[in-house]
Amino acid sequence: MTNQLNQVLLHENNQVGSNLEAWLANGGGEGLQNALAAPEAIIKTIEDSNLRGMGGAGFPTYRKWQFVLAEKDAEVKYLICNGNEDEPGTFKDRLLLEKTPNQIIEGALITALATGVNHLILYINPHEEKAVEAARQAVAQWEAHPLFASVADSLGRPLTLRVFLSSGLYIGGEETAAISSVEGGFPFPKKKPPYPAQHGVHGQPTLINNVETLAHVTHIVKHGAEWYRNLGVGQASGTKIYSLSGDVLHPGVYELPMGTSLRDLVFEYGGGMLAGKEFKAVFTGGPSNTILTSEDLDVALDWDSVQERRSRLGTGAMIVISEGTGIVKRVTEYVDFFADSSCGQCPPCKIGTRQISKVLRKIDTGRGRRAELDHLVNLGKLLPGSGRCALVDGAVTVLNSSLDKFKSEYEAHLIDR
Amino acid sequence: MTNGVPYETAWQNYQTGSSDPVQFDDSSKESLLKQFHPDYQTNTTTTLQIGANQGDVCQRQLAQVLQSNSLIDEVDLAGASIVDTDVLIIGGGGAGCAAALVATENDARVILTTKLRLGDCNTVMAEGGLQASVGVDDTPQQHFEDTLRAGYFKADRKLVSQMVMDGPDVVRWLIQLGMQFDQESEDPFASLSLKRAGGTSAPRILSFRDYTGLEMMRVLREAVTYRPGIEVWRSKPVVELLSNEFGHCAGAAVYDMRHRKLMLVRAHAVILATGGIGRMHLNAFPTSNHFGATGDGLVLAYRLGAKLRELDSFQYHPTGVSYPRHLAGSLVSEAARSAGATLLNGLGERFVDELQPRDVVAASIIRECEEGRGIDWDGQVGVWLDTPRLEQQRPGILQRFGSLRHLAHKCGHDPAEKPFLVYPTLHYQNGGVVIQRNGSTSVPGLFCAGEVTGGIHGRNRLMGNALLEIMSFGWRAGVAAAGLRHNAPHRRLTIEHVHKWQRELTLAGLPLDNHGPQLYPDYANFNLRAHIAGEI
Repeated sequence: MTNQLNQVLLHENNQVGSNLEAWLANGGGEGLQNALAAPEAIIKTIEDSNLRGMGGAGFPTYRKWQFVLAEKDAEVKYLICNGNEDEPGTFKDRLLLEKTPNQIIEGALITALATGVNHLILYINPHEEKAVEAARQAVAQWEAHPLFASVADSLGRPLTLRVFLSSGLYIGGEETAAISSVEGGFPFPKKKPPYPAQHGVHGQPTLINNVETLAHVTHIVKHGAEWYRNLGVGQASGTKIYSLSGDVLHPGVYELPMGTSLRDLVFEYGGGMLAGKEFKAVFTGGPSNTILTSEDLDVALDWDSVQERRSRLGTGAMIVISEGTGIVKRVTEYVDFFADSSCGQCPPCKIGTRQISKVLRKIDTGRGRRAELDHLVNLGKLLPGSGRCALVDGAVTVLNSSLDKFKSEYEAHLIDR
Repeated sequence: MTNGVPYETAWQNYQTGSSDPVQFDDSSKESLLKQFHPDYQTNTTTTLQIGANQGDVCQRQLAQVLQSNSLIDEVDLAGASIVDTDVLIIGGGGAGCAAALVATENDARVILTTKLRLGDCNTVMAEGGLQASVGVDDTPQQHFEDTLRAGYFKADRKLVSQMVMDGPDVVRWLIQLGMQFDQESEDPFASLSLKRAGGTSAPRILSFRDYTGLEMMRVLREAVTYRPGIEVWRSKPVVELLSNEFGHCAGAAVYDMRHRKLMLVRAHAVILATGGIGRMHLNAFPTSNHFGATGDGLVLAYRLGAKLRELDSFQYHPTGVSYPRHLAGSLVSEAARSAGATLLNGLGERFVDELQPRDVVAASIIRECEEGRGIDWDGQVGVWLDTPRLEQQRPGILQRFGSLRHLAHKCGHDPAEKPFLVYPTLHYQNGGVVIQRNGSTSVPGLFCAGEVTGGIHGRNRLMGNALLEIMSFGWRAGVAAAGLRHNAPHRRLTIEHVHKWQRELTLAGLPLDNHGPQLYPDYANFNLRAHIAGEI
């Protein structure tokens, strides 16, 4: 079973750090050569591979690319390689940037050839110092390499590649916030439309892809779409990096075939539950999704299967909770995270997340009443969709999901139960 | 242990015996310790498999609790109320009180929690006195050298130098709090009376009768009780420390015995002043320690990642009562030997210079008993502590030793007529949590003071340095802890470190059903789960 671990992105041959020579010696650069040979074929390959956005949304990558490609008149187009990663339980992008920055940059260059973007920005969380350092070193080597000039020649326009330090705030990972940040402003999310593909950085067409997505692009263009599809389990294609944490024996980052079951991830790769406790629940994809419970252990961890359980795969983060762990406390912590992360421009989000947090805390510390539990239920109905971005929706999703599946735990802490 | 000389025979030998001076051969000291001192017996030690001291030698019984699983799990935190304070002090002895007083003087709000009552501690058991270089012919430098030498030069020099320099100030502070010390005459303005302790180069022991610690605790308890800003909690043991998202110490989970529920204390700083481990009865030794000395602080700090030191070094006080059995371990003060009382074996012979450091005297007693020259009294073995001849030489001296007379009364004899039967008793933990001069540990937010710390005494403690240490480092920890009061409050109160710990336990193949800290001695039969459930 372990032979399915780390087959592509985290393959040991690829973990050469910022060393471009070593990357090229181990088979790197072939994807880019293929792309240079036939730039117009790339999008079709990506479409055939079923690659979807690994930053959490799971939107088909080729469609995003088509929107940007369609902006033929623009002189200047941007690509933001999103490595802002800050949510609890997700720690894959920092690892990719630190251990394998070259495959991300190569993926970005292939993307440039496919879509015509010519300003490539590695948008990295400054708190991840090792990732920033590795990316900077890799960028310097690429800029001096003939392949880089070949891409520029093929584009016929000036090509730039640089590292941009994000604000380090969670909200800065949101697409429109990332654009504001790159423009030099505070990462306030904006209302869509206009969409970034038409009106992004400085009003120019802008493509935003997660760094894991770009890393996959490199290997798809090298080996072909069919090879990539066959990596997945069943209908799913490719591999996915899962960030496993919580009450398991071996927490960590696991690259596995897309569609690996939750049970295998937790019990085979994760070494099973910590201290022999019973499995209780998983917060999937970071905190902003619906909770999976023991009934869902056999779910295949791919976009569609998880969605059928009314949850989302998200970033691939799996925070495992055992029996013996209070759900209310955990939800309180996640809502606190959202409340802290709110940019504050939309009052329902700014005040609503705090309000939820306050009531949750009261219940968690044994001071809540039934009326306050009703308050939570009603806030859960009122708040979704009230912000410019989806932050408040994320907070409410966790809350509603926990109320749906673990209401008795809430009730057990009430004074007037 | 062989049984030794029968009581009747030994008593005859005692009455006819000589008390010739003993020429103690210094060169044999090392082999004596190696052969007879419990610290040097490798069959009772093991190496730690997990934690900050992985690979270090440790007493086996101690290793078992250090590598134990937590008493609580996350489910226990659900619904628990949260109490906020600046400084949480765990332990109601001398170090905890000193820290509390100084922390409030530095404008911090303090909660002092103890699993028993304020003053149920080993400080009150300290009989001999307190060392401070206040004598005319004495200097802190001499005190420094004596302390290092006694500890086999294993002590942390920074800590020792600070402590000896604090000595005179500690005495002044205690006098201002109202503590009494023996003086050279009845005149209220007479100089403080100084006595010489074993292993020291100058008379440096300040004492009050033979219950110096009790007198010290009397004034500390009064001060703590009446000082605004200190909230004292009793019967509330700490069952686990709490960590924030960075693994720093963020407070503690406290069990309220009366209401049978857990509560969480969020604090900018936590000071562990939990004392020693005597009631773990390492290697079945009796102990002079109080009921609560079960090493909780070591276990809590180690699980949170703090580094410990000298986990295989303990002090055995030479003169614990051996007979009657139910009083075994109770201490006859070193003051008796300081005043001139000798030790005699079953043949009526002296066998050691009684003013040698404690480890040498204790090892000598064990040697006499193991080699059959001890006295066997109804199965209890020991040697004589010759109080009758002391009284003959210095009539009236025993009148000054209230604790000694009280103990003799409990043993059912008159110390002027009959000697005590004594045997070494587990007395003090030389090592402990590694600290800096301000009491801080390797875990941010966690401070330690008193016997729970290590590095001050090396591998053997000088008499009188314990009472000095608890004051000196209690102060320092109190100041440093209060200094954190303006930090932003901890956002998360978790037991993440426990999960990490459980992972390490599992990977090392250690049992998860071995829970600690112990909180109360084995024979108290306390079980937290059963207590929460109302079954005991």
